[in-house]
Amino acid sequence: MATTEKEIVNRGALAHPDLTRLDDVNRDVLKMLTRPGKGWWMLFGAAAAGVGLFVTLWAYQMIRGIGVAGLTSPVGWGVYITTFVFWVGIAHSGTLISAVLFLFRAPWRQSIYRAAEAMTVFAVMTAGLFPLIHVGRVWHAYWLIPYPNSRFLWPNFKSPLVMDVFAITTYFTVSATFFYLGCIPDIAAARDRATGWRKHLYRIISLGWQGTDAQWHHFGNAYVFLAALATPLVLSVHSVVSWDFALGIVPGWHTTIFAPYFVAGAIFSGLAMVITLVVPMRKIFGLEAYLTTKHFDAMAKLMLLTSLIVFYAYLSEFFLAWYSGEEVERTAFWNRVFGNYWWATWTMLTCNGLVPIILWFKRVRHSIPALFIVTIFINIGMWFERYVIVVVSLSHEYEPFAWGVYRPSFVEIGILIGSFCWFGFWFLLFTRLLPPVAIQELKEVMPPPLRKKKSLEGAH
Amino acid sequence: MSTAVSSPGGQNSGVLASYEYLDSTVDAIEHLRKAGFKPQAYAPYPDHHIEHALGYGRSPVRVWTLCGGLTGAATGLAFPTWTSLDWPLVVGGKPIVSIPPYVIFTFELMVLFGALSTIIGIFVLSRLPAIKPAVLYDPEFTAGRYGVYVEADGARLDEARKILKAQEPIEMREGAKHA
Amino acid sequence: MSRDLAERHDGILRRDFLKVVGVTGAGATIAGCSTGDVERLLPYVVAPEEITPGVATWYTTVCRGCAAECGMWVRTREGRAVKIEGNPTHPVSQGGICSRGHATLQHLYNPDRFHGPMIREGDTFRQGTWDEAERLLAARLRRAASPTNTVDRGDVVVIAGHTGPTMSGLIDQFVAVLGATRVDYDAVTDAPMLEAARIAYGTATAPRYDIGAASLLVSFGYDFVDTGSSPVEHNKGLARMSGVNDESHAKGRFVFLGPRLSLTGQNADEWIPIRPGSEAAIALGIASAIATPEAAGPYANLLQAYSPAAAAEAAGVSEEAIVSLAERFRSEGPSLALGPGVGAHHRNATAANLAVMILNHVAGNVGRTVHYEAQSSAATSRMGDMASAIEAMSAGRIGVAIVHGTNPAYSLPAQTGFREAFERVPFKVSFASAMDETSAMADLILPDQHFLESWGDSMPRPGVLAIQQPVMSPVSTFDSKHSGDVMLAVMRLVAAAPPVAPAPAAPGAPAAAPAPARAAAPAAATFYEYLQSSHRAAYTDRTVDFDTAWRQALRMGYAQFASPAAASPALRAPDRALSFDVPTFDGSGDLTLLVHPSSRFGGGEFANSAWMQELPDPVAKIVWHSWLEINPATAAARGLVNGDIVTLASPHGSVEVPVWLYPGIREDAVALAMGTGHTSMGRYADRHGVNAVDLLPGTPEQPSGAMVTVATTVTLEPTGRAMRHATVDGANGDQHDRPIAPAVQLALLGETAEAAEEEHGELMELQAGGGFIPVPAEDGSPASFPLPGSRYGEYANAHEGPRWAMAIDLDKCTGCSACVTACQAENNVPWTGEDQVRMGRDMMWIRIERYYEHVDATQASDLDIRFLPMLCQHCNNAPCEPVCPVFATYHTPEGVNAQVYNRCVGTRYCANNCPYKVRVFNWYRYTDAIPEPLNWQWNPDVTVRDNGVMEKCSFCMQRIREAENRAALEDQRPVRDGEIVPACEQSCPAEAIVFGNIRDPNARVTQVVASERTYRVLDAIINTQPAVQYLRKVTFHEVAAAEH
Repeated sequence: MATTEKEIVNRGALAHPDLTRLDDVNRDVLKMLTRPGKGWWMLFGAAAAGVGLFVTLWAYQMIRGIGVAGLTSPVGWGVYITTFVFWVGIAHSGTLISAVLFLFRAPWRQSIYRAAEAMTVFAVMTAGLFPLIHVGRVWHAYWLIPYPNSRFLWPNFKSPLVMDVFAITTYFTVSATFFYLGCIPDIAAARDRATGWRKHLYRIISLGWQGTDAQWHHFGNAYVFLAALATPLVLSVHSVVSWDFALGIVPGWHTTIFAPYFVAGAIFSGLAMVITLVVPMRKIFGLEAYLTTKHFDAMAKLMLLTSLIVFYAYLSEFFLAWYSGEEVERTAFWNRVFGNYWWATWTMLTCNGLVPIILWFKRVRHSIPALFIVTIFINIGMWFERYVIVVVSLSHEYEPFAWGVYRPSFVEIGILIGSFCWFGFWFLLFTRLLPPVAIQELKEVMPPPLRKKKSLEGAH
Repeated sequence: MSTAVSSPGGQNSGVLASYEYLDSTVDAIEHLRKAGFKPQAYAPYPDHHIEHALGYGRSPVRVWTLCGGLTGAATGLAFPTWTSLDWPLVVGGKPIVSIPPYVIFTFELMVLFGALSTIIGIFVLSRLPAIKPAVLYDPEFTAGRYGVYVEADGARLDEARKILKAQEPIEMREGAKHA
Repeated sequence: MSRDLAERHDGILRRDFLKVVGVTGAGATIAGCSTGDVERLLPYVVAPEEITPGVATWYTTVCRGCAAECGMWVRTREGRAVKIEGNPTHPVSQGGICSRGHATLQHLYNPDRFHGPMIREGDTFRQGTWDEAERLLAARLRRAASPTNTVDRGDVVVIAGHTGPTMSGLIDQFVAVLGATRVDYDAVTDAPMLEAARIAYGTATAPRYDIGAASLLVSFGYDFVDTGSSPVEHNKGLARMSGVNDESHAKGRFVFLGPRLSLTGQNADEWIPIRPGSEAAIALGIASAIATPEAAGPYANLLQAYSPAAAAEAAGVSEEAIVSLAERFRSEGPSLALGPGVGAHHRNATAANLAVMILNHVAGNVGRTVHYEAQSSAATSRMGDMASAIEAMSAGRIGVAIVHGTNPAYSLPAQTGFREAFERVPFKVSFASAMDETSAMADLILPDQHFLESWGDSMPRPGVLAIQQPVMSPVSTFDSKHSGDVMLAVMRLVAAAPPVAPAPAAPGAPAAAPAPARAAAPAAATFYEYLQSSHRAAYTDRTVDFDTAWRQALRMGYAQFASPAAASPALRAPDRALSFDVPTFDGSGDLTLLVHPSSRFGGGEFANSAWMQELPDPVAKIVWHSWLEINPATAAARGLVNGDIVTLASPHGSVEVPVWLYPGIREDAVALAMGTGHTSMGRYADRHGVNAVDLLPGTPEQPSGAMVTVATTVTLEPTGRAMRHATVDGANGDQHDRPIAPAVQLALLGETAEAAEEEHGELMELQAGGGFIPVPAEDGSPASFPLPGSRYGEYANAHEGPRWAMAIDLDKCTGCSACVTACQAENNVPWTGEDQVRMGRDMMWIRIERYYEHVDATQASDLDIRFLPMLCQHCNNAPCEPVCPVFATYHTPEGVNAQVYNRCVGTRYCANNCPYKVRVFNWYRYTDAIPEPLNWQWNPDVTVRDNGVMEKCSFCMQRIREAENRAALEDQRPVRDGEIVPACEQSCPAEAIVFGNIRDPNARVTQVVASERTYRVLDAIINTQPAVQYLRKVTFHEVAAAEH
């Protein structure tokens, strides 16, 4: 095929003014992997301490019994499941940005998708812990995995919880693989610059990548297929998570809109979390050249869209509860807004429905501090959305005599905080050990260096 | 800058040229192929000009993905069905084998197996992980440079050397690719 | 005991086995003997003949939980009593047993029982030997009587609680030998009723009510379901009387008159909320309206003074209510009026009871629904005698005070000054088997044996002599001794001593207190011999020899004699002046305080049972702590909300207690239950709740001498503090217009037949869809299951074998909660404690839901209260099953929703998805908190569940399997209908629960659910197809459509 110089230049869909040479990218990105500063160590220390708290409380709960949580009858699921769904939701934007936007050739994804993917992997790692924390006998939790035991007793494949096990495991495996595959060339780049123990580490985990034509060729193809597989997976995972609830008969759970509603919510919260993480990262590592307002503007628009979908879902839930004429449904939703947990519901409506409205304004979308604050609100709001769905629905079911109120205990709150530290712990390690920005993909969109300032055909 | 490490005419010796410019690389490759060489290229990023110059077609990775996906789907449907029949237990008045929930496992395992087999595919096809460390290699390839390597000996080696030189490489190395 | 006994028992065992299996179908071995010879319980060195490890042995005995003395079957395993059941052959209780009856097991294994005789040393007790203790008592008795003793010389007083006739006789002898005074005292007593009977008919026995025979039942504040003289018998009677007959649609009417709806009142069809103390006025008002002059006899003039109008005025209710009630007395016979009980003992209680007896008399009920029999041997306990004893003690005239079977230091109002007086007695002796407030003050404690460990007898009614036989060897942890044996030993020791001069008789003592010289110690060496000798005397009318008769009595649990002719006696003129007016109440408060015995604790003797503490109160559904019942309007007027803690002050004392808003109480009254607020009774009783009697005056009712419970007004002072009730009721009795406990109007019963037909049509569709209800085919045989084309999954062999199901008749259920405790005892259901219940973590497998509806929605007080025993519904389309990831819960081919504890991981999805919320979760290993030897009661046939697993009702799977195995052993015969009796059904006094194989067209359950009243909770909304079906309550009034 004939390629003009113009094409080559135009490939740089993203203009990075101070980037002229390919190896500038290595220079800028790989410098992040040098000795961390005081700030990083403080953050890391805090995260490690939080992980300590996390582990201690969990151990305490295992020894005393799940009763140390505030869970009770009728509210058998509480903060733990809420947080599980929250983290699974967070996990979504990563694969969304890396896979879906890759397929759609969205020009602005290159510089953020590495961080987003890392976030995905760590978020799933965090989420995956919560079902274990939640069950009454975690030492038997492996019974949910189909393995040939002496009695050939298998899990119940009709149970949404088993679907969940498969969905989450698959999602973790695929996104982790996807993440690692994308990292390999950049690790090789790091290897070629690194010294000491890092060189040894990178030599091993770069699997001897050299960037030969054959490697690049298969790499590119495989990447497309993985993206094609990961895309429906993103949509399926949170659908399956939503069926954890929708397949129950609990009023407030048993509805058909849950799958799309949850997926939208997941992307919504995921994008919010990406911004929350990337804004400080950009400052600390001086990546202004790579993460421009252009990126934030694009993500803000996507958040605005998903926020509208989610808010629409809220409203349709209330409408359908009323329209059904079913006394049980009506009471359940009335109780949401005006019952014991009115504060949770109103937090959810405000943070996810009203606050994002200001994203209609370009000035907000282009002001990084403003975006940062908005995303904090959204993170809180989306946690409470899950809290409302899980807890409030359970507290008012069919049998009025058995209605009850659930109050989270200090153990649950501690483990919730601990989970953020556990997540931060891994993310901080990531920023120091792996190139947080995709080097090779950035180079793809840069104008390649040319000797003859004319078209390539000149050669022949 | 390091120089040639192994003697000319040695076992499967070759020459490696590092270029600063994309077009030089592409030209070098094309001329080498005209002269009947089988050059190998290095680049800091996947560049379709180079692939084009080397005349790559579609990668066979797709086959791996397809096989993996189909195997996964089959397993995902068969396994729950078999376990249900292996020890039939009625729950909630549902049929012993109820397809709708099993479709989810079909899908999940399709994706899982598909993804894993793709990874295996790319590793196998692109000879990863490379056990033997390459000595004839320029670390700048992962930063900004392009490279072309040709394996030849004797007169053919000189011819290749000439073609590569014509494109003004930053540096050239010779010797066996692997120690 | 002697060897020949054991041999005899062996013979009985085999014979009885054959007989009893036939009779009861429970496969029980009703053995006519005690296991008195078992030295160690486990392991066996040489196993006693009648005990086979793994096989239950059953014994008959008598319940000593209260004065009703119901018949019991006690199931023992490896020599331990593990379960109590009602004895269906018992002439009085006729099967079924109340919650307190079950809880006596926890007294047997009470970890706070004494480990041996306790001798006071300063402020503490030292454990001594029995020989030492008996010698000490004898010595102190002699010393108290010796004329040379100038320090602490004094009389001896024996304060005795209710006990069996033989034991009572022995106490009389004991008293005689010691030249002591006997004072009978019980916290809860029907003394006014007895006194009224004495005045009216000259008999001092409680009138026997045949409630089942009445068609109009009127209770003047007599709580015969809660407590009363025979709760189980009366509960059964109420169910028979007010439970509708599905063929004839006949249903008795129950009217309750009282300021507060007790559990009994909640079962009434009509509530007339009369002013406290106005019972007499109403009874006489009605009597005057229906009486012919001659019928009233000597009371004709009295009736002249009364009229329905005057009665209505006195009671503060509408005249129509009284007039229509009088009209009913005329038309809807046979009627039965029940006199004020302990919960309504005001200062004119005797008069009120007399008035009610007059009403019964003029209504012609005597001999039809109420019977007066000759003197029973049961001693009447009178707080009046106690008053004189207190006077004597405080005057220092008492040298030795002996307390047996009662706890006056707790149950007497502080105003009586008992504690101070008792403190002054130089030597105080208690026979209590576990610490209580009285024993805490004693100098010597001689721990009695529990009635399940010891011999005794009871006479629940003249002509019935029931035997209390030990069902197991005494709990080896505790070195206890039968107080009868102790008294015999002490009598011998005292008699052996040189006689001393007769002591001056204490005031209030029976005439001519006998001196030791005159009364000789009985010959019997042990109480067992003493008992046998007394029965030998009673069995004179037997044709067979005594041993045979005795063994028969042991096997059946009782011996029957020709009861004295109960000819309808004539009214006698009162021998003393009585006031029938509304009594005056102490204090100037604007609220009258109603103190009533608790249906869980009685007068307080059951407070140290964790079962009773955690059993939701049938009225308030509150556990572990006290509450003050107050009308919502009154509370609103004072700005009080549920849980606000108030200072409740009467002229006699004050307590701090949280209020509970209850529409079932008059606006000018508040109610507080007795039995809680112990200070030194044990780990489960102490510091739980308040003691209501401390608010009561010290002066007894006259002339009966009973403690007055409705005697004072009170004032409420908010403390500003509040607490959340530890309650299991999540919706304050509101069923939010859901078809959970619907009712049907009696008048519509016939007319709803078509509706029922439709229902039946639905059932057929259901069946076509895999529902389990068998639809008779043309030939009448149940259709095979599942039907062809069934949408639902089932086992290949599901149409073979039984399909277990249960039917519960809500028109019979009285909400007494006996089933709850029965289930707890049978299935090792742990208790969790006040704070856990407050969080919502109670573990009950079956609960009694209590919902308020309104007879007339415009009147808040016009209550129609529904009870719904809620247990696992064993749904055919169980929502809990498919969500379990590990098959820990699944459906068995027999239609039972099984829960596999060992497989449970604890995701709790099943509980979330259970619309009935009958699944309970082990948040901790609750059984760890159960101390030795309470855990000896655990049923060996049922797993004790681990921390972190879900559990729920299993339809008593262990009993199903036991019956199936037995049937298989008896050459593969099918299981008989009624052979499997779940714990809840067995103990239900109202016989409201029926369990069986729904696929058997002749099974009781199949026939019961054929009723047009049958419905399935929530099934109409969510198609769960429960295996538990309910029969609607039937009301006289119109029922709101929303409830259907």
